[in-house]
Formats: sequence, C-alpha cells, structure tokens
Amino acid sequence: MTTDRALDPKVIDRLRQLTMPGEPEVLAEVLQLFLDEVPKRLRALQTALAAGDAAQAARLAHSLKGSSGNLGADSMTDVCGRIDELAKNGDLGRCAPLVASLTDEYHRVELEIKQLLQTS
Amino acid sequence: MQSLHVLVADDEPVSRTVVGAILKKAGFIVSYAPDGEQAWQRLDGPTAPELALLDWEMPGLQGPEVVERMRSKETQTPTYVILLTSRDSSADIVRGLRAGADDYVCKPANEEELIARVNVGARVVQLQAALADRVRSLEEALANVRALQTLLPMCAYCKSIRNDQNYWEKVETYFTQHSGVSFTHSYCPNCYDRFVRPELEALEDAQKSQERLKRK
Repeated sequence: MTTDRALDPKVIDRLRQLTMPGEPEVLAEVLQLFLDEVPKRLRALQTALAAGDAAQAARLAHSLKGSSGNLGADSMTDVCGRIDELAKNGDLGRCAPLVASLTDEYHRVELEIKQLLQTS
Repeated sequence: MQSLHVLVADDEPVSRTVVGAILKKAGFIVSYAPDGEQAWQRLDGPTAPELALLDWEMPGLQGPEVVERMRSKETQTPTYVILLTSRDSSADIVRGLRAGADDYVCKPANEEELIARVNVGARVVQLQAALADRVRSLEEALANVRALQTLLPMCAYCKSIRNDQNYWEKVETYFTQHSGVSFTHSYCPNCYDRFVRPELEALEDAQKSQERLKRK
C-alpha cells in the first residue's frame, strides 16, 4: 500500500498548471487549505469515534477522502474510504486501528506539502 | 462567445477550490457556495448562474435536494446541474438524475472529463437560450396574428377601419401597423373598366378637341 511518495506527482503537476496569469498560485492555495482544514477534521473524526457517533465519523471520513483525493494523496484516500465504509455500517470497532494509520499517512502528506510550499 | 457563470457548491474547501480553478482556466466565471442552503439561495431567482456543480453530500441540504427544489420552479432557462459524487452505484446515479440533475461527475474530478461535461452543459444552456428567444419572438408574432383575427369595424362606404383607440384609419395604415404588411397600389380589371378607362377616354377626347381648336 505504501508508495515512496505520499502525493502523486502527476496530480501535483496538474494543480501547478491551473494557475492563471496574474492570479495567485492554485497549487500553493490548495496545499495551504489542506494544512489548515485537514487537522481539524482529523481531530473531529477521533472525537466522533470516541463518542460512538458513526454518522458523524462517516461524514468526516468522507470529506477527508475528498480532500486527500484532490491532492493525489492516494494512500490517505484509501484509508479514509475504508473508515467511511466501516462507519457507514456502524462498525466503529474496526475504525480505531485505521485512524492510527490515517494519522501516520497525514504526517507523510504534511511533510511533502511543507517541502512543496518551501520550494514553490 | 460570452463566458458562462458556474456555481460550485461543495462543503469541502480543497475540492471546491480545485474544481473552481479547473473551470476558471477553461474560461468560465466561477462562484462558490460552502453548503446546500447557500447554493439554493444563489440558484433561486432570475440571476441564477447558467450552470451549477453540486456536491452530493453536503451538510443541511444535499445536492439532489437542491436540484429537486430548483426543478419545482418553472423557468424558460433552467440552470444546467451536474452532481459531483463519490457514489458510483447505478442506483445512486439514477436517484440523482431523477431528482432533476442533468449529469453527474465522479469525485475526485478528472480535469478533462469535468471540462468536457461542463462544455456539454454550456451547449445545452446556449441552445435553450436561443430557443427561449425564438419562442418569445413567435409569441409576439402570434399576438399580432390574433389582433388581425378579431372582428374589425369597417366603414361600409370609405372602407376605413376603426382601431383600438377608436380612431378611423385607412385600411393601408391599419394593416401596416398591425401586421408589418405594406401595400403597393394598382387596380383590378373591374375597376379598370369602371374608372380608369372612362378617365383615359375623357382625357383623349379633351386632347382631340384642343387639337381641333388649334387647327382652326
């Protein structure tokens, strides 16, 4: 499941090319949004799971899947998808270990994003 | 071609921004809504954007519910709606289309596919606008035809016609105003025999008698 890159370079390259002349860089904007938004939702996901709120956990996992999918963070997207499925079925017990690997995945993604933001 | 306006409604800021950037690059004017309720507010009214990309799952009003509300109102130029969804079961797709969506795109959106589908929407919107224009001008023409089909009061002697404002107008004036018909004047064979020929003969006679006078 693990690849050497947390973010698909092809996806990142596409985002880089979306910038219009004279406008702020789309890639930088999207990466920054990701760093601002995702940790909040990761914490909320943990809270929802601790509280046994399956519907809320599914909603958050789903939205995290959307965010990571847009950056080509494929491993993170996979984990979110699995949590989403399990939570939808009310199977919260099997979510806990997945959330741990989701957090690890997020840290890998975060590291790459920070490198990208420094070089761009 | 004038740029069309697309509303992107998604509660997930990363997706929303990426989709918006893709559409801007393709030449569309983009605005955003962070949930279904605000999307509905933008889409309900005469200044609604021509196209809308609605995320299926949003807090409050979901994408299909927004479309249902939109379709319950009659308009000649309905917004073209594409649902953005990570649901790809055919039951879900059918549900979305039945709610009134025109199309759907699976998330995360592939850039080329998204633009191709939005361009299909743009074509439909432009056809619809052209059709609405055409219907409007046909309705105007029909109103004129109806005006001509009503009973027209006409003077039995001079053939003037009484118009809507109670004035007597010449037939030519009345029809020119109400139908765009214009007249050229001529005479029919009967009137030629009855009026024109006697006048011509009278003129000839007058000419002959003048010549006779000159010779004397």
